[in-house]
Amino acid sequence: MQVVFALARREFVRFVRQPQRVIGSVAQPLLFWLFLGSGFSSSFRAPGMENVSYLEYFYPGVMLMMMLFASIFSSITIIEDRDAGFLQSVLVAPVSRMAIVLGKVLGGTAIAMVQTLIFTLAAPFLGLSLGLVPLVMLVAAYLLTSIGFAAMGFFFAWGMRSTAGFHAIMMVFLMPLWMLSGALFPIEQAPGWLHLVMSVNPVAHALVLLRDPFYMTPHQMLADGRYLLALAVTMAWAVASLLGSMARVEKREKGIGLAG
Amino acid sequence: MIKIEHLSHVYPGTRKTPSRMAISDLSLSIGKGEFFILSGPNGSGKSTLFRILCGMTLPSAGSIRIDGHDLLKNPAQARSLMSVVFQSPAVDKHLTVAENLRLHGDLYGLNGKDLQDRLAEAIAWTNIKDRLNEKVDTLSGGLARQVELAKCLLTRPALLLLDEPTTGLDPASRRDFVATLRSLQQQRQMTVLMTSHVFSEAEDVDHVAIMKSGLLLAVDTPQALRAGLGREMVVVQSRNAAALELRIQADTGLHTRRHGDEIRLPETENGAGLPILERLLERYRGDIDSISIKQPGLEDVFIHLTGKTAQEIENESNEGTSK
Repeated sequence: MQVVFALARREFVRFVRQPQRVIGSVAQPLLFWLFLGSGFSSSFRAPGMENVSYLEYFYPGVMLMMMLFASIFSSITIIEDRDAGFLQSVLVAPVSRMAIVLGKVLGGTAIAMVQTLIFTLAAPFLGLSLGLVPLVMLVAAYLLTSIGFAAMGFFFAWGMRSTAGFHAIMMVFLMPLWMLSGALFPIEQAPGWLHLVMSVNPVAHALVLLRDPFYMTPHQMLADGRYLLALAVTMAWAVASLLGSMARVEKREKGIGLAG
Repeated sequence: MIKIEHLSHVYPGTRKTPSRMAISDLSLSIGKGEFFILSGPNGSGKSTLFRILCGMTLPSAGSIRIDGHDLLKNPAQARSLMSVVFQSPAVDKHLTVAENLRLHGDLYGLNGKDLQDRLAEAIAWTNIKDRLNEKVDTLSGGLARQVELAKCLLTRPALLLLDEPTTGLDPASRRDFVATLRSLQQQRQMTVLMTSHVFSEAEDVDHVAIMKSGLLLAVDTPQALRAGLGREMVVVQSRNAAALELRIQADTGLHTRRHGDEIRLPETENGAGLPILERLLERYRGDIDSISIKQPGLEDVFIHLTGKTAQEIENESNEGTSK
């Protein structure tokens, strides 16, 4: 545990020490939200959400984006750490491989949590109100989704030697996961083939966890099969990513058997 | 302390490159409290051996015991005994010296009073005592190395592994680093294994091993290695070396070489240098400022064994990637 916290604290301290990163990580989603949200507002009409402006529709989507970006940044530091040599010294220390994964993932999660919690303060300006219980459920959803993203980023970044390679993964895999989660447009409006892709996207389920607390009471949510399914899928996704990452760290470079 | 038996390592090939034997049937044992240097040209397998020793790579065959613990089957126990200094500095540049040291303490489960004592002990010998709250980024290369060494000493390792730790340091910092390391090693009874291709560093260590192409060419004390070469060379210094060289060549028929005001006579068998020296002194006393018999250094041993000059090796390693 000491190891996990020490590594997570390092992530956080490094984040805070780089003011550009702090400003960028808060300003960038905010700008996205305001520009896209305002720009699309007039043309947007979601089925079953007639009173919802695009600014409001996009709001949970921006939350999701923050978590995705926090995860991407923290994954890139894995590659940088390997490059700089810091990672080697962690690897040769007598620490469990699990602690190495958890330290990094929790560090990235902590950063995402700070950002999303600050962003939650914008809710009243949209006319959205949250009771105490929905707020707790929302924060739990932040935590779960951030861990899922951070662990997934870890999984991809671990074996990589260059940040350029990771950018490719980010653009062709991580970004589409977010775009096709319902963050930008509702699943229901997508054409058939896209609808299919979107409905198997685990990240789409995480979005349900982020959106519902604003519109439903806790009782409604817990009685709703859709919400429970979303919870189960998101958990499974986070756990699978964590386990996958651990398996990757556990693996030591190996020489091949001697012939003859 | 370290017992390596029949170690072999083959790198898996890819579609374009065939598999490559990096270490072949190597056995080596290093005693407790020794200062041991492992050297060899690039591609000799020393870096591979180093990676295997610090538990980052699993070899194809063979066994390694660190103080009795099987490194390959049970890495956690062996890891707790050792500390590793890598070629690229493993400190976080964005953190301060003190934060780096604490973080390392955390990794090894140290805390409270014990950590405080060890911190004081680990930095006692350094020049970074009054710069603990500065970011490592702002320190010179030599000082950053000290942070790293201090970090490693924090865990009171029984075994310290270092991979070309003086790369990138100027000669003065390099000498300081090795001298400090030597005295720390003796004070604390550590076993030290260091890879290096700077031979001045190896002249007074306990044992030197020379590797080439995955094989161990020689393991011995530096004295024995030098003596084993069995050769020496007469060197003359003179104000008018150019003229003197021509006269020596004409008189003796020997093939001399001149560097500035220094004339080097050809290498001879051990013991053959003295008669040459006496003869030269007899004939050219007036022109000679100084004359001596030069014993071979480790560099000469290395060149003899591997067929490479230190300059070639230096160039290779400057080109980057050591495999």
